[in-house]
Amino acid sequence: MNSIADSFYSNKAEESIDNEFISKKLSLTPSLAMPPISKPTAFLRAHTDDNTNPDCKIKIAHGTTTLAFRFKEGIVVAVDSRATAGNWVASQTVKKVIEINPFLLGTLAGGAADCQYWETWLGTQCRLHELRNKERISVAAASKILANLVYNYKGMGLSMGTMVCGYTKKEGPTIYYVDSDGTRLKGDIFCVGSGQTFAYGVLDSNWHWDLTLEEALELGKRSILAATHRDAYSGGSINLYHVTEQGWKYYGNHDVGTLFWETKAKEGSFNNIVS
Amino acid sequence: MVAQPVQKVFPLTLKITNLPSSNSSRPWRIPVRIDCYLSHIKMAGLSFDNFQRNQYIASKGVAMPKATSTGTTIVGCKFNGGVVIAADTRATAGPIVADKNCEKLHKLSPKIWCAGAGTAADTEMVTQLIGSNLELHSLYTNREPRVIASLTLLKQHLFKYQGHIGAYLIVAGVDPTGAHLFSIHAHGSTDVGPYQTLGSGSLAAMSVMETQWKENMTKEECIKLCADAIEAGIWNDLGSGSNVDVCVMEVGKDAQLLRNYITPNIREQKAKSYKFKKGTTAILRESIYNLVDVEETEIPVPMEVDA
Amino acid sequence: MSNTIASEYGHTDTSVPIEHRFNPYSDNGGTILGIAGEDFAVLAGDTRHTSGYSINSRFQPKIMDLGDDLVMSANGFSADGDALIRSFQQQLTWYHFNNQNKKLRPSSAARLIQHLLYGHRFFPYYVHTIIAGLDEEGKGAIYSFDPVGSYEREQCRAGGAAASLIMPFLDNQVNFKNQYDPATGQARLKTYLKLDEVLNLVRDAFTSATERHIEVGDCLQIKIITKEGVREEFYPLKRD
Repeated sequence: MNSIADSFYSNKAEESIDNEFISKKLSLTPSLAMPPISKPTAFLRAHTDDNTNPDCKIKIAHGTTTLAFRFKEGIVVAVDSRATAGNWVASQTVKKVIEINPFLLGTLAGGAADCQYWETWLGTQCRLHELRNKERISVAAASKILANLVYNYKGMGLSMGTMVCGYTKKEGPTIYYVDSDGTRLKGDIFCVGSGQTFAYGVLDSNWHWDLTLEEALELGKRSILAATHRDAYSGGSINLYHVTEQGWKYYGNHDVGTLFWETKAKEGSFNNIVS
Repeated sequence: MVAQPVQKVFPLTLKITNLPSSNSSRPWRIPVRIDCYLSHIKMAGLSFDNFQRNQYIASKGVAMPKATSTGTTIVGCKFNGGVVIAADTRATAGPIVADKNCEKLHKLSPKIWCAGAGTAADTEMVTQLIGSNLELHSLYTNREPRVIASLTLLKQHLFKYQGHIGAYLIVAGVDPTGAHLFSIHAHGSTDVGPYQTLGSGSLAAMSVMETQWKENMTKEECIKLCADAIEAGIWNDLGSGSNVDVCVMEVGKDAQLLRNYITPNIREQKAKSYKFKKGTTAILRESIYNLVDVEETEIPVPMEVDA
Repeated sequence: MSNTIASEYGHTDTSVPIEHRFNPYSDNGGTILGIAGEDFAVLAGDTRHTSGYSINSRFQPKIMDLGDDLVMSANGFSADGDALIRSFQQQLTWYHFNNQNKKLRPSSAARLIQHLLYGHRFFPYYVHTIIAGLDEEGKGAIYSFDPVGSYEREQCRAGGAAASLIMPFLDNQVNFKNQYDPATGQARLKTYLKLDEVLNLVRDAFTSATERHIEVGDCLQIKIITKEGVREEFYPLKRD
């Protein structure tokens, strides 16, 4: 087993001697192409950052509401499913929870490709950790691998706001917030994305530690619903997850279009909307 | 602008309220309050009041609204005893076709017509304005308007505005001195010649003109040449498309507008019908208003009596 | 010490070469569209190749048959698109050499394309990529990618110049968005469309896009993937 793991562990010096193709095949440390100019970051910003340059040609998918919180029975993770590129709704069916492995979830906010790519990469790193150490990786270690990775790329334009959620024996249910600035925080409640403030509003006023699972799932769902209602860059449908000692469990996809009217009728809320 | 004369003279200040904080390219609706009006604002001509404000807003990253620009092919050509102008009928806003069958041939006077390229609103307005002035001039002098007069009026107006009025025109017509054909650029320069092309498709059209044109053409030959030149623009220039409009002005006759002279771009039948069943659209709310009072009374029906 | 006075006409050489604004991108227009059915998938695109107001070619097909019953198109800046497809094909060849010509699944192809695109994260390919094929169960599969490699499996997707014109039409006609069943008043149930229905939608989508987008036209190329293999059809579009 160790020899397999070792074959994925690339040694810089060896690599240069190796045939280029073979080393490319085995190396999981990616090499990223750079534009042949003196300031690649300025180039990237000019062409891909629709915030500083609204006319930029390459619009990278952005905009999200995601949340995760700890409670008595584990962790609830809830996310919306809308991807936007500028003012264009690129998709209403995005999977914003990345199933890193059966015990670890990562959420996706910011650049869709950055999160999708590096969190699947994180999955391989976690698997290698298991092969090398014959035990599952801790949430702390997993989140730190990601935090260190993005810190290496600091200032180069990566855009990620992610929550690494998992359960290990020694840690219990644990959430780490990691973003592309290099921030890494442990906490009980996090909301991330353009709709985070709306989600916090609902979540903070209704959360308490002794929530039952049913209540917790409902609260996660309701918080995202509030965000999709007020944030134009969030919407589509809600994906729900519950993390326990047995790993994570999926609690379905809930279309915001129908959920809104159901919630309004049930709670008598959203009275700003008539008919 | 109706401005009440003010007693006190304030320095002109423009206050911008509620400037959107985001610099995305949202529709451009910025409420602006101009705190006081100065009497000299009633000045004639175009108002540049908002120029500074717009520059400021643009510097904040808010995109300016796009004017509809008729990426266009327009041509004109003289023949023995008259002149023909022609245009395509596509109007675009960026890469989107805004109008598939617009009119780019404008009347300056009954026998002087003008084809316009550039900013759609500018070609329309400048043409109407000079058309009016030309009629006034004609009434004042009690003579038929001349093409050279309309040319002078147009070029002096456009030069005055230093290219800010984005009108590129081909002017043609017949008057007591014969048939004439000119072109004018937005900055006020003018050209004279037996054939002219303008607009984004002008190169395609000119290549037809340069290869097919000959001296002393008949009316029919000239119409054919102009239509062919426009077609070259329609096929080869993305800014031009749809149909060909032609206007023929012959000495001693009324001008003849041949709207949609050629229609080579009729849309084929769609493969499927998109009629929705009644009730496909959700009803969110229903409100029924009784506009008349309905009173129901029973009218006794006479019993049928068998003989 | 030199007492030479600096000349008025003298100039200083800068030791660093002047770097002009580096713009390696252009836009070659065109539009692509993929729809997945129950046992088939189609990927269609127009064949017009443009730059600015000029037509470079009226027939430059951009839907590529990759073998393994996979088709792919990378729409946007065609040089980048071609480069991406070529490097995918090269990787696929190596995959066949190393794995006894094993057939590449659409899901694996999608992951490979993600890596190819993300490899240029800091110098992106200016393309919107769509691939179509049949999954392990024989069901139609469409995968679409953003320029830097985020991807998703979908029922249908339009990409390129007229994507914003076609996508709402697809939402309504393929996923029945905003359509309700007149009998029950509930949202219309999702059903698989038949191949001839899908082909009609594709043709209407492109004739409509041709009407309203100047960069779309000339000819429509459709590749159809069924269990029998890949088939291709062409239809003329308006050329103005």
